[in-house]
Amino acid sequence: MTALALRVDGIVKRFGNHVAVDGVSFEVQRGVVYGVLGPNGAGKSTMLRMINDIIAPDAGTVRILDDLAPGLAAARRIGYLPEERGLYPKMRVLDMIVFMAELRGLRGGDARKRSEAWLDKLGLGQWRDNKVQDLSKGMQQKVQFATALIHEPELVILDEPWSGLDPINAEVLRETVEDIVKAGRTVLFSTHQMEQAEKVCDSVCIIARGKKILDGELAAIRRAAAEEGRIAVAADGEAARRVLDDRTLVAAGATAATGDGVTEVRMADGVSPDKLLAALVGAGASVRRFEVVTPSLHDIFVSRVGREAAIAVRHDGEAGAAS
Amino acid sequence: MTETLVIAKRELLERVRTKWFVVVTLLGPLLMIAMLVIPAAIASRGAAGAKIAIADDSGTLAPVLVAALSDKKFDFEPSVVPAGVTDDELRGRIARREISGFLRIPKDVLDTGAVTYQGDNASNQTVDAELQIVVAQAIFIQRAASLHLTDTQQAYLFGSPPKVTAQFTTGTSEGASGLGAFFLGYILTFIMYMMITLYCVNVMRSVVLEKTSRVMEFMVAAVKPRHLMGGKILGVGGAALIQISVWLAMGGLMLANKDAILGTFGIGGGGSGTGSAFPPLGLDDVAIVIAYFIVGFFFYSSLFAAVGAMVSSEQDTQQVQMPVTMILLVGLLCFQVISNDPRGGSASALTTIPLWSPMLMPMRYVLGGASLGDVAVSLGVLVVSTVIVVRGAAKIYRVGVLMYGKRPSFVEVLRWLRY
Repeated sequence: MTALALRVDGIVKRFGNHVAVDGVSFEVQRGVVYGVLGPNGAGKSTMLRMINDIIAPDAGTVRILDDLAPGLAAARRIGYLPEERGLYPKMRVLDMIVFMAELRGLRGGDARKRSEAWLDKLGLGQWRDNKVQDLSKGMQQKVQFATALIHEPELVILDEPWSGLDPINAEVLRETVEDIVKAGRTVLFSTHQMEQAEKVCDSVCIIARGKKILDGELAAIRRAAAEEGRIAVAADGEAARRVLDDRTLVAAGATAATGDGVTEVRMADGVSPDKLLAALVGAGASVRRFEVVTPSLHDIFVSRVGREAAIAVRHDGEAGAAS
Repeated sequence: MTETLVIAKRELLERVRTKWFVVVTLLGPLLMIAMLVIPAAIASRGAAGAKIAIADDSGTLAPVLVAALSDKKFDFEPSVVPAGVTDDELRGRIARREISGFLRIPKDVLDTGAVTYQGDNASNQTVDAELQIVVAQAIFIQRAASLHLTDTQQAYLFGSPPKVTAQFTTGTSEGASGLGAFFLGYILTFIMYMMITLYCVNVMRSVVLEKTSRVMEFMVAAVKPRHLMGGKILGVGGAALIQISVWLAMGGLMLANKDAILGTFGIGGGGSGTGSAFPPLGLDDVAIVIAYFIVGFFFYSSLFAAVGAMVSSEQDTQQVQMPVTMILLVGLLCFQVISNDPRGGSASALTTIPLWSPMLMPMRYVLGGASLGDVAVSLGVLVVSTVIVVRGAAKIYRVGVLMYGKRPSFVEVLRWLRY
C-alpha cells in the first residue's frame, strides 16, 4: 500500500480555446482531509471529474490509491459526491441507497443492512419507504451523501459538499468527514467556502483560473504567511506615529487602519516583530495592543490570488451559505 | 457486466412494479379479444332490421326484391312506396327515422342495371354487400323472365351463386382465408411498431430524466456510460419482452380457441367476419416475432438513447427524435407492400433493410412470403447492423450524457463518433 491516496501530475483540460485546468499537480497523503480551494470557474470540478474518470485529461496523469489509473477498479474504491446533486426521483429512499451499494459491488443483504444503518445515522430512518421526490432538498442531499459513502471508500471525493446545506446539516457533514478520517480513510473536497475549509482541512491546494497557486499543509501555509510579518498595533501618540512611519522598521505602503485604533503593518525585510515593539516602547509610545497576525485562509487567498478573485470567493461563499 | 445487470434490474423493476404496466399487460389481451369479437359480432349481426323503402319506377323489380329482402338470410324490413313519391320526400322520411333508406329503381333498370340506394346506413358495408347481391339477383331473374326461361332453367341459373374463397397456400396461413391472414400479419406489424416505439421512447425519456434530475454525473462516476446505456436498454427491453410474451401467449391461446371464444359471446364460427378467419399462430411465428423484437429493440433503443443523450430537456426531444420516428413510421406504412405480394422483390428488399425488417418480416413470414432461409439472412443483416449502431450510439451517449445547454449540431455529433 502506497502512502499516497492521490497523485495528480500536470493535468491539463481544454474546452475549445478555454483552458479549464492548466498543468495542475498535487499529492494527497492517506488519512487526511485535503481541500481544493478556489472561486467558481477556477477548474475545481473539472479536475475532480478527471480524477473520477468522467472526463479524460488532455495531458498529465492521475494515480489513485495503489497507483491505479482512473477507471472502474479505482471507482470501486472512491466515493464521489458531485456538485450537481441528483437522485432518481421516483425511487424509494432505501432502494436508492441499496442500488448504489450494489453498483459499488456490495451484495444483497449487506447492501441493505448498510443502507438502513446510514439512514438511521442521518436521521432519515422514517423516510426509508418514501419516494426520493417526497424528501426536502436537504434530506435528498443527505441521501446522496449516504449513496456516495455506502461502500466505505478509501478515498472520498466531495465536490462543494457544503453548498446548499443549512448550518445544522453543515455540522453533521463536518462530523462525518472527521469520522471518515478517524477511520484512516482520506477525504478530498473542493469548496469556495474558506471558513469551512479552514475548520476541517489538513492540507489545501489553491487554484485560480485553472492554475495552481499554492499547496501544502494548512498549518505550514499559515505559519509561512505569519512569518511574512503582519502585526496588529494599537499605540497612541506622536511617538508611535514616528516609529510606524520609520521605513527601516515598517515596509512602505504596508500600513492599514482596521478600526478601533488598530493599525495593521508589515515589517520591513529582515526586521523581527520584537525589534518594532522595542522601538515603540523605547520611543515612549503608549502601546495598548501588539499582536503577530496569523492570517486566515481567506487572507492568504487574497494575498496570493488577488482582491478581485477574493471578492468573487466572498460573494460565492455568502450565496452558498444563504442557499 | 455486474454493473450492467444491476442497472438493468433497476430499470426493469421500476417499470414492472407500476400499476400501469400490470393494467396494460392485462388489457392487451382484452383488446385482442375485442379485435376478435367485435368485427365478428358486427358481421354476424349484419344489417338485420334495416327498413328499406323500394321506389320502383320500372314496376318490375319490387315484388322480387320484397321477397328476397324479407328472407331470413338478410332479415331486412322492405316496403314498397307508391309511384310518384320523390327522393326529397323519402329523404324526409329517413330524417324522421321512419325508414333507414330507399332504393330508387329507374324505368330502364333491366337495360342499364343501375340502381341507387340512399340511407343513413349507406356506410354499412354489410348493407352495401347484401343489397348488391339481392338487387343483382332480382335484375337477373327479371331479365330471365323477359327471355321466357322456364322455372327449371331459372333455378339452374340462380340456384347456387358462384363464390371465390381466397386461401393461402404457403406459410403459417396455409389454408387460411386471405383476409384473416392479412389481419394477423397487420396486427403483428402494428404490435412490433407500437412496442418498439413505446419502449424505445421510454429508453430515451429515461436518459433525459437522468440528465434533468442531474443524477447522470453520479452514475457515470460509478459505471462506464456504455454499461449504463446497456443496462438501461436491457432493463427496459426486459419489461417490453415480458409484455409482448404475455400478449403473444394470450393471443396464441385465443386464436387456438377462437371458435369457443366466439361461441361464448354468442357468435357462430362460420360468420363472414375477420375473427373466425384468423390462422393459428405457430411456435415458429412466435419465435420469429420475439427474435425480431429483441434485435430490433436493441437497434432502435440505442438510437433513441443517443437522442436522449444529445438533448437537455424533455421538450428538446420532440424535434431530435423526429427523424428516427419517421423512419419507424415508414416501416409501418409499408405493410401493404408485404401483404399485396409477400414473395415479391419489394417485400424481399423491405424485409432485409434493418430499419424496417423488425416490423415487416414477421408479417411476411406469416403470409408465407419468406422461408426460414430468408429470415436467417434478414436477421443476420439486422444483427450486424445493430452491433454497428449500438457502438456508434454508445459513443454519442458517452459524450452526450454530460453535455448540457445548447443542442449539438450534426457536425458535432459526427465528431463525437470519432472520440
